[in-house]
Amino acid sequence: MLVLLALAGCGKLQNDINVPLPTYNADLVVECYLEPGKVPSLAVTTSVPYLSAVLPQVPTDVTVTLTMPNGTQVRLPFNPNYKALVDTTSGVKFHSHIGTTPLVAKSGDVFKLDVVDTKGRHATATTTMLAPITIDSVNYKFNDKTGTERKAYFLTNFRDPPALDDCYRLQLHKGNPAKGALLKSPEVDMSVEDRLLNGQNITLGTSYRFYPGDTVTATLYHIERAFYRFRQSVRDARQANGNPFANPSAVYGNVEGGIGIFAVLSATTTQKILR
Amino acid sequence: MIVNYSLRYYFLLFALALGAPRFARAQNPARYTLSGTVRGGHGETLPGASVAVPALNTGTAADSLGRFSLSLPAGRYRLVVAFIGYEQLTRELNLTHNQRLSFDLAESGNELSEVVVEGAATLEQKLKTTQMGVEHLSIAEAKLLPALFGEVDILKTLQLKPGVQSGGEGSSGLFVRGGSADQNLVLLDNTVVYNPNHLFGLFSVFNSDAVQSVDLYKSGFPAQFGGRLSSVVDVKLREGDRQHYVATGGVGLISSRLTYEGPINKGKGSFIVSGRRTYFDIFTRALNKANENKEDYSPIPDYYFYDANLKANYALGEKDHLFLTGYLGRDVFGFSSTGGFNFNFTWGNTIGTLRWNHVFSPKLFVNTAVSVSDYKYDLTNKLDQFSFGIGSNIRDYTGRVDAEYTPTDRHLIKAGAMLTQHRFGVGRLDANSGDGRVNFGADVTYYGLDGALYASDNYKASDKLQLEGGLRLTGFRSGSDQYAGLEPRAAARYALNERTSFKMNYALMYQYVHLVTNSGASLPTDIWYPSRLSVMPQRSQQVSGGASFLLGQGKYLLTDEVYYKWGKNQVDFKDGAQLFVNPELDTEFIFGKSWAYGNELYLEKKTGKTTGWIGYTLAWSWRNFQPQRDLPGINGGRDFHPSYDRRHNLTVVVLHQLNARLSLTASFIYSSGSLTTLPLGRFGVQDIPGSSVGIDPRPVPIYPDRNSYQLIPYHRLDLGAVYKIGTRRNQDLTLSIYNAYNRRNAYFVFFDTLRDKATGRTTGFAAKQVSLFPVIPSLTYNFRF
Repeated sequence: MLVLLALAGCGKLQNDINVPLPTYNADLVVECYLEPGKVPSLAVTTSVPYLSAVLPQVPTDVTVTLTMPNGTQVRLPFNPNYKALVDTTSGVKFHSHIGTTPLVAKSGDVFKLDVVDTKGRHATATTTMLAPITIDSVNYKFNDKTGTERKAYFLTNFRDPPALDDCYRLQLHKGNPAKGALLKSPEVDMSVEDRLLNGQNITLGTSYRFYPGDTVTATLYHIERAFYRFRQSVRDARQANGNPFANPSAVYGNVEGGIGIFAVLSATTTQKILR
Repeated sequence: MIVNYSLRYYFLLFALALGAPRFARAQNPARYTLSGTVRGGHGETLPGASVAVPALNTGTAADSLGRFSLSLPAGRYRLVVAFIGYEQLTRELNLTHNQRLSFDLAESGNELSEVVVEGAATLEQKLKTTQMGVEHLSIAEAKLLPALFGEVDILKTLQLKPGVQSGGEGSSGLFVRGGSADQNLVLLDNTVVYNPNHLFGLFSVFNSDAVQSVDLYKSGFPAQFGGRLSSVVDVKLREGDRQHYVATGGVGLISSRLTYEGPINKGKGSFIVSGRRTYFDIFTRALNKANENKEDYSPIPDYYFYDANLKANYALGEKDHLFLTGYLGRDVFGFSSTGGFNFNFTWGNTIGTLRWNHVFSPKLFVNTAVSVSDYKYDLTNKLDQFSFGIGSNIRDYTGRVDAEYTPTDRHLIKAGAMLTQHRFGVGRLDANSGDGRVNFGADVTYYGLDGALYASDNYKASDKLQLEGGLRLTGFRSGSDQYAGLEPRAAARYALNERTSFKMNYALMYQYVHLVTNSGASLPTDIWYPSRLSVMPQRSQQVSGGASFLLGQGKYLLTDEVYYKWGKNQVDFKDGAQLFVNPELDTEFIFGKSWAYGNELYLEKKTGKTTGWIGYTLAWSWRNFQPQRDLPGINGGRDFHPSYDRRHNLTVVVLHQLNARLSLTASFIYSSGSLTTLPLGRFGVQDIPGSSVGIDPRPVPIYPDRNSYQLIPYHRLDLGAVYKIGTRRNQDLTLSIYNAYNRRNAYFVFFDTLRDKATGRTTGFAAKQVSLFPVIPSLTYNFRF
């Protein structure tokens, strides 16, 4: 019996295997988040065979045109900041193309994006800037513990507009914004829709995870359904790899002829120092 | 074909079908009826026992209550009553009038008989019946076979039969002849069990101490069964010892069982109560306590399951019998984090059935039953004053009447009716806070009414030819949507000689309730959804044929069956479907067709010291989901195989009685690797500023066609031994060695991200194969006092 038990414990239950994958045809991957007051930029890469080299493939033959709400077409030149691909500290995002003048945008403005390369790949997308949603209040509450165990949860409250089909993304960053805290990974990053709470007050909370003295910045994005669905489908696709209980999921964006997402960020922020 | 017009036409058909036997009876006035019950040594009824009249080359098998009825010409006969595992009984009879007799069979002294019992299916009976595509399994047989963690599981034993695939390593899920797991009608004493699994499918809900037997119908479905497309899994509970109070139980690697049974009112009835509970949680709590002071302490969640069975029966008189069945099972998963977060997840079935059996005459029995079946899950999260809960359930209230009528020894007529009210709690959500700041809820509930009428006649046209015809009229209503379907069933057997018979059958089935799942596995959060709006009833038809040969002086039965099954309105879900608390859930479905075909070869040996079977299945399963509405279809509308499609499947089961105390068993299974979906490509997402630093290192997989990659072939050898101890041999030690040669079968394959240990940077990607179970020995102690 002891021999059998010993045998049961021997050997690994996870092994490397060789998986011959068929030929894969790469698509253009477009990621563009416009922000009012900031110079428009975007990242154009291509998808790659899964087991190929790590770094993303950045095509150099891509022409990008941004169409403004008034119909003006603006070329975004190829001007990549390759350093951002390997920089793991600054929080600066990679862009392959970038404009020259800050964006002017207001609620309801429609923008269009046109991406084409010399191989005939052509991706297009359209997005609309949504009205920012005010954060009504933020609250926190500490638990009864002391020392390093004393932690608080954090609540963000806002009201959903009467019309259905609003989607939101809330980020909570910890630290001093003046020292670049808002460029780093957030403490909390969640997406919700108003399907079950249309027109009502919405409260989003966290677990006990903030300490006395923390500065918490809440950023509430009012996002398009396409952006919400893109994030959900990216999450589902990631979870399906390595989860025997999940069904493989396609990624849904708003980029026709390619993969990716095009959005205008509409955000409100508020800060709280936890005492 | 689904029709929505008047039911009167079908009532007329049933009236004709039920009226036909009256003429047949009028033509045989000189015959007498011999009826009665066959019981075993403890007073338990013996369903499937054979009562034969060799002089007339006729006989019958006892029904599920151990009753039999034969119509014979007047005369002197020698009756032979037999049931494997019991001493054969011979009795002389002078039949001059209708007679009622009871036979009590003594348990055989040959321990092997218990080993090899296969209920109704003595090989000769199996050869002669019109029914094909059915597997009968007694718990005595299942208890001898090696089992994962020593937990005897009657559903997993069924996976060793040809035409039945498992969902994956260790899973109790059944995939029968190309059908999906939700297309199996699982019945416990005739009441539907909506989720027959514990622990995500690793164990079935059926406690081996409480179960008497199970019948699996893969084709040729009798008319009394309906509501699912693929198979019927008919589980019967034991009735309990009618003569003595007996305690049985067992202590195993992961659970313990205790059963108590005995007579009621001096043998007028009997009862059995049985319980089982796992004890993972006792170990995990001890581990948590030991580690709670460590810096990197992360508590292991609590998990356990339990189930309890009750069955009682009582004879109200010579002609009336009451039966009560109850089941309660729960899985409990709980977690409390150091951050004050409490998570509780419970799920399980509750079942109750009350059945009244009335004998109108030796030729006519009627069962009237009312039952309730409920499956639910509840998930709650709590943090300080905030609570958040979701849940779902399905609850059925059913009434049914089933009659069996034997007008002559050439006809066995069955007819009945059933009506079920379904309540589909498709999704419930509530969120609250103590200060009232948060207070909302949502609930999506539907109701359905499900009805059926059926009639069938098993007609023995001659010694060589036996025919069975049946008709089932089904109807379903949910809100203003209503459907009706006519389900013909037909079977025929032609006996070429005493040792060879040919069989064919056809069945059409409708399924009005659908399992909403986005996973290939059985998850407790899967919910049931009625046919309504665009979700039409699923339909399948199956035709099968085969030949059976008795070989080696009746010691072996060789059966070869071929089948073709085709279905429409099969359901699947679009990618990223919103399945929870969605009042427009029907828009998340997509619909397609399926077809499956194959050949099943089966060689059985049921007598002698060495018994067992060899089964081989060659099969294909296909599905096709064309683009529809604004959806692209699955795999671009091309034909594809479901994940459980296995081209080859071989099982070899051997049971050997070494001596009166020791039995040895072995089972071997080989099957083609299951199909899975692997990503072909990937891309990176860097997200908005302030979301992550640089490009998110987690790649986003791009999945092409479904199920385009085949895992390595699956094979496994299990070994077992049962050693009886004690002077009365009423205790035993059961040794199981699961996966004896420690084969690393593939549970799933994924692409791992490789990182530099020092910097955390991604350095590459590699394919990994994950196996679930290595060799697992287990020892179980069982007793009977």
